[in-house]
Amino acid sequence: MRRLLSETPDIIDTIFTAREQAYCEGKRRRYEHLAARFAAKEAVLKAFGTGIGQQMRWIDVEIVNDLRGRPSVELAGEVAAWATRHGLLELDVSLSHTSTLAIAQVIAVWAAEAG
Amino acid sequence: MSADIFGAVQTAVTDALGVDEDEVTPEATLLDDLGAESIDLLDILFRLERKMGVKIQAADLAAYVQGGIPDDEFGDADGIITEKGLAQLKKALPQIDEGALAGNLPAEKVMSLFTVQNLADMVAARVANKDN
Repeated sequence: MRRLLSETPDIIDTIFTAREQAYCEGKRRRYEHLAARFAAKEAVLKAFGTGIGQQMRWIDVEIVNDLRGRPSVELAGEVAAWATRHGLLELDVSLSHTSTLAIAQVIAVWAAEAG
Repeated sequence: MSADIFGAVQTAVTDALGVDEDEVTPEATLLDDLGAESIDLLDILFRLERKMGVKIQAADLAAYVQGGIPDDEFGDADGIITEKGLAQLKKALPQIDEGALAGNLPAEKVMSLFTVQNLADMVAARVANKDN
């Protein structure tokens, strides 16, 4: 993440929302926080089984933090529309990061299929 | 397609993945053969945008391969590519062996068939579109 953003700084707006950038900005371990958020976005899309599908954007999956720092996921655009169509009820996310690794786990709860 | 476009794609892939240029052959698949991950795809696409002046988003790769066919028509209930999906796939990825893949290609594995040449073809189409 550090290399990517150092070599291609403009790419940040493609991957992270303004809120995500603001949260990580100024943190001593900024790149770790950003890497963990990217891992979480991937984890969400993998939990959905879509990867980045048609018309989906990385910024459609946003990791936001409450006042105590607890992360949660907010969806927008085509990703939100896909989740609604498929009966997503709840998403929980957990992030961890070190200087060399960023890990995210996501639990998605879906409505039971009719019938 | 001009050699310039393939050369630009080859350079972008080589630089983003840190692999040797001679590994980045037309038939090499980005994910399986060259080990690209989703963040690497972003890096490659952004490098191409700067070099070629055409913006390609990660979702555009899926759209190029899937041809705008909705997910539930591209794959069946078990996640296997449908006949319609496979016909579209053959248009986007002409190197694939439809017969061998019919009835047993999971939709989630489709991008693992995407080669350097497929990316170059996609960039060429975008460049032509921009110029017209």
